[in-house]
Amino acid sequence: MPKVTVDGIEIEVPAGSTVLQACEAAGKEIPRFCYHERLSIAGNCRMCLVEVAPGPPKPQASCALPAMEGQTIRTDSPMVKAAREGVMEFLLINHPLDCPICDQGGECDLQDQSVAYGRGSSRYDENKRAVTEKYMGPIVKTVMTRCIQCTRCVRFAEEVAGVEEIGAIYRGENMQITSYLERAVTSELSGNVVDLCPVGALTSKPYAFEARPWELTKTPGIDVMDAMGTNVRFDSRGRQLLRIVPRINEDVNEEWAHDKTRHAVDGLTARRLDRPFVRKNGKLEAASWEDAFKAVAAAAKKAGGSVTAVAGDMVDCETMFAARELVTALGGSMLEGRQTGLAYDTSSLSAVNFNTGIANIEKADVILLVGSDLRREAPLVNARVLKAIRKRGAKVFAIGPETDLTYKVENLGASLKTLTKLPKAVADAFKNAARPAIIVGGGALRYEGAHGAALALAEKYKLVRELEDGSTWNGFNVLHFAASRMGGLMLGYAFAGGIRALAVEKPKLGFFLGADEVNYDLFADTFKVYVGHHGDAGAHAADVILPAAAYTEKAGTYVNLEGRVQRGERAVFPPGDAREDWAIFRALSDVVGKKLPFDNLEQLRTKMAAAVPALGVEGLADYGWVVPKLDAKPEGDVADYPIKDFYLTNAICRASATMQRCSAELVHGETFAEAAE
Amino acid sequence: MTDRPCRLLPFDGLGGYRGFMGILAKIFTWWNGATIGTSLYSLRKGRQVGEDSTGNRYFEAKDKSGRRWVIYNGPNDASRVPPEWHGWLHHTHDLLPHELPAARNWEAEYSPNATGTADAYRPAGALERGGKRAAATGDYEAWSPN
Repeated sequence: MPKVTVDGIEIEVPAGSTVLQACEAAGKEIPRFCYHERLSIAGNCRMCLVEVAPGPPKPQASCALPAMEGQTIRTDSPMVKAAREGVMEFLLINHPLDCPICDQGGECDLQDQSVAYGRGSSRYDENKRAVTEKYMGPIVKTVMTRCIQCTRCVRFAEEVAGVEEIGAIYRGENMQITSYLERAVTSELSGNVVDLCPVGALTSKPYAFEARPWELTKTPGIDVMDAMGTNVRFDSRGRQLLRIVPRINEDVNEEWAHDKTRHAVDGLTARRLDRPFVRKNGKLEAASWEDAFKAVAAAAKKAGGSVTAVAGDMVDCETMFAARELVTALGGSMLEGRQTGLAYDTSSLSAVNFNTGIANIEKADVILLVGSDLRREAPLVNARVLKAIRKRGAKVFAIGPETDLTYKVENLGASLKTLTKLPKAVADAFKNAARPAIIVGGGALRYEGAHGAALALAEKYKLVRELEDGSTWNGFNVLHFAASRMGGLMLGYAFAGGIRALAVEKPKLGFFLGADEVNYDLFADTFKVYVGHHGDAGAHAADVILPAAAYTEKAGTYVNLEGRVQRGERAVFPPGDAREDWAIFRALSDVVGKKLPFDNLEQLRTKMAAAVPALGVEGLADYGWVVPKLDAKPEGDVADYPIKDFYLTNAICRASATMQRCSAELVHGETFAEAAE
Repeated sequence: MTDRPCRLLPFDGLGGYRGFMGILAKIFTWWNGATIGTSLYSLRKGRQVGEDSTGNRYFEAKDKSGRRWVIYNGPNDASRVPPEWHGWLHHTHDLLPHELPAARNWEAEYSPNATGTADAYRPAGALERGGKRAAATGDYEAWSPN
């Protein structure tokens, strides 16, 4: 623990800290462009110069200088001030003066820091350097003349995204950042370079020239594009949501978000259900709320207790709870959320949870992926695994078809029988590992016995163990990729035998909560009430459509794949006549004569917390560790992975022009020639 | 440039006032055409160089000062000067309208600023246009089952 003095403040910093970190710990702001906490140190912008003694009598780059015992650091001396002004002047030599037409304006590091640390005037009369345009795909817009060559994007692509597709060519003043072959960056995380870029060189293509940051209303929310529960900020102007950017949460998403999280936004203004519909003579016709409710009430009268609710992938816990209460009040009990027909055992929630935790998985030293295409199912978990490999040299094995996860994986073939008898090398690796982990994905959970065999493997290799530091390590993980999954399981949205067994019961009335992945042929005889926000498969199959709110239009509780209960707030209002989901069920309950006991969201949450206490507390839910007795004799191979097209996994994405373009270009390999600008 | 006879007291264009009321209006209002002082000044020192289609009369000083001015036929509203006279009046050029290149066939007829008059622009939904507004539907695309 070296002790250093920063501007006369004596402070002790952790061993291995840099001078920049020491200055921050002392409360001094150090300007920087290339330095970023989550990336390796480059030290090439020179903005973080400070005066350090002992050392050479010149300013030193604090980001790349280790803090040593007894150092005296000055951040406010005339030498430092002159150094910063000098560096800023050099950076601005070739930076265009196009702030008024630059999308970064208002949230630009270069703007802010030139005001704070730069000279008041320019001494530069010569021409500025111009850089040819680059193409980085449908997400990232480039204006490379603005680039100050901090190389954050290069380091991000290599270290976090795991794709070495952005790099620098030439040297000195002529250095250029490029995707080498004018091809789209194929990473699911490519949108993050827009946030990382300290200037306007890389900006968001779908959001280009939409708004200025100071016009936007910012609302904290939770993303529902996958089961990560990414903490996001909804930026809206008036009635419209304009962009989604990640919030920092070290336990969940650090400060990243994948491209679906960020850019499915335009899907929220397309194909919206804005009025109720009732099917008359086989055709859906627009109706009033009253008529729609009457149609449902008539069906409820005939159903006589044969009522079901099927939850989609993006619904919040409040919706599922309200629907459950209504189904129960009508005498039904059939609830299901696993739309695509998964039927794994849910008697113990700990056996279907990501027990290790998203943040802890990067500490694992041996990881076995069972039928899990991590890169598409949870790109941010994949980034954590990549971190485990890069930082701790973790070994990763996989059972399932070969797929590119951006890192080296030892594939053990697709046969699930491998689970019962691991090859010797893998078994040895597991035996010698301190923090072994297994991740079971949707590709394997489809097969009977796979879940049980994975649990047996967890028992055999003691994946649940005490660590040397006294903490408990649970290496058994099931990876979900629906935002509503864990919340749904906690609320009992799991029917023994899955949705096929439920369809066999031939329910007379079914509430489908934004369920667009269901095979509706199974429910031919059911009176289908679709409560959702987008016109997709569910709306086409429905008998009555009740327009509801999307995730940005309602306050909701979501449980992510590690069992973390999080709450998002409402950013905008639902369009047209659409209403918040829980309010629809409350109003409908009045019409069918089974009034639900809540009149506002607070009362609903109180009732929900009374029914499932864990949903009332934000933070990790404790499921304990209970191993159910399951069939552990898997047969056959993992045929494929559930997510075929990362960019089109739900109704919002499918309505989004940006996501369709991403899918066409990045998944299906179409090329989009860009007109020369 | 052609000299034209100058009328001493241009009583026309006084918002409809005629006769005695016209004289009173001439004496006590400044917003209808020229005041008596300006009329006398124009007669003494000015030379009328032309008149536009709405009856506004344009003057130039007889001396070498080069001053140019206009006496409105009606309300004193600067936007009533048509563009062909505007250039001359503001010394942008010395050409009189008949010396200018002919107007293009795509040029619209000039109209003065209508703000404050009955012809003023009223957006759709303004009370003067019935106050009926279109429902706000422009910010999203609704789904239709067909």
